[in-house]
Amino acid sequence: MLKKRLIFTLLYDQGDFMLSRNFRLQKVGDLSWLKNNYDFSHISYSIDELVVLDVSRGTRDLNMFTEALRILSEGCFVPIAAGGGVNSVDTAFKLLRSGADKIIVNTPLYDDSNLLRCLSEEFGQQCVVGSVDIKRGPENSYSCWSNSGQTEVTGNAAELLKKIFDKPIGEVYINSMDRDGTGQGLDLGLLDLLPQNVGKPVILAGGVGNADHLASGFNDERVDAVATANLFNFVGNGLRDARQSLISMGVVLPLWDIQMLEEHLGIGESRDSNID
Amino acid sequence: MEAEIYNSMSKRKVTIVDYGMGNIWSVISALNYLNVEVKVSDSPKEILLSETLLLPGVGSFRKAMDTLRRLNLDRAITDSVQDKQHKILGICLGMQLLGSGSTEDGETLGLNLFPAHVDKFSEEKLGTLKVPHTGFDQVVADADSKLFKGIKSDSDFYFVHSYRMLSDNLSGGKAECDYGERFLAAYEKDNVYATQFHPEKSQTNGLILLQNFMEI
Repeated sequence: MLKKRLIFTLLYDQGDFMLSRNFRLQKVGDLSWLKNNYDFSHISYSIDELVVLDVSRGTRDLNMFTEALRILSEGCFVPIAAGGGVNSVDTAFKLLRSGADKIIVNTPLYDDSNLLRCLSEEFGQQCVVGSVDIKRGPENSYSCWSNSGQTEVTGNAAELLKKIFDKPIGEVYINSMDRDGTGQGLDLGLLDLLPQNVGKPVILAGGVGNADHLASGFNDERVDAVATANLFNFVGNGLRDARQSLISMGVVLPLWDIQMLEEHLGIGESRDSNID
Repeated sequence: MEAEIYNSMSKRKVTIVDYGMGNIWSVISALNYLNVEVKVSDSPKEILLSETLLLPGVGSFRKAMDTLRRLNLDRAITDSVQDKQHKILGICLGMQLLGSGSTEDGETLGLNLFPAHVDKFSEEKLGTLKVPHTGFDQVVADADSKLFKGIKSDSDFYFVHSYRMLSDNLSGGKAECDYGERFLAAYEKDNVYATQFHPEKSQTNGLILLQNFMEI
């Protein structure tokens, strides 16, 4: 059967990786910090997908970003989705040539149907992930925000989502701006905004602080994948431990046998020395 | 210089057919991890001479076939595989291109290296299952499969596709996955190998499969 996916999201800003809290960014560290705290060539066995977003608020340096993407993707044998400021087929192509398997778009979902069509014609719908940032308002009303959470999109969030699911995209990543980076748990209320019987995979994000939060998302049948961008809560063995506990809770995640690989390849000594 | 000669003698080699579609970086990265020497080529001559070929790809079947034809790579691949008996692994769209044809964007002929046709998942059988079939799903292979040697039955592999092949009436080694209906997840016969999933995105299981392919 099709397994659920645990996704880790990295927020990149001009050479650094960031922690976002309600969309306010705080610098955590650069690639070497990440290497020391999240060795992706090993950590990747604890996740099922990696998302890398260029969240730079100023001018984006595409070459620097693609270089970081290349370094991250080396030794990371899970799907990688990348985005942030994708405004042309050419930009998407560069990301796909630097290790990304999928492209994430946000603002074009509302204002650039032409780009969405071009991307899906060029790379296929399955290659495009629509990312939707949603904020809770008074009395459980919700609104969608574009442009890195800076611009409120006119219209009712449920109606906007319905339109978004009909766009030429393969998956939808919904993120709670209120829970973002708080570690207070996912906002499952966002799922009530989804159209009935959506035909595309749904990724839920925003607020994960521990394994129980992840489980709350996985246990909802409307959710195909849960993402966390919390760089602090899962350092060291955090992701591995969270995955272990999810599997023991009965969440249906893919199973990886690192030992089997090492025996098969005969590379045990050289590669497993720094697993712990 | 000596070191280079030594490497070229000891290293296994593969040529990735580059026709501009899909993330070849991740395939290269997985093969590098397995210590395989990778050449990326869009030269028909090089492809004809390469003993081990890999055909990756994501996107539209029609567009991919048009590009292969425009670059004269279609003949190069079939000549290399059929006349020279070089082995090939098709991945995802690359697997589909090795088949007889696809109904994606209207009927398009494939490279016809094995007689399976590509069609959309049957909506009737899908029920509430979502398309594209995205994520890790379990694969069951024939017990004597060369590609799956050492890989447990029901192991997880990463899929992302809206079209699929069926294994009905197909001779050769098969692996299947169940998504509303049983479809062809992998195929092997003589020197033709193919996977609908992405081994380069399937962690331990995918790396073992790629290693197996290199060692056949």
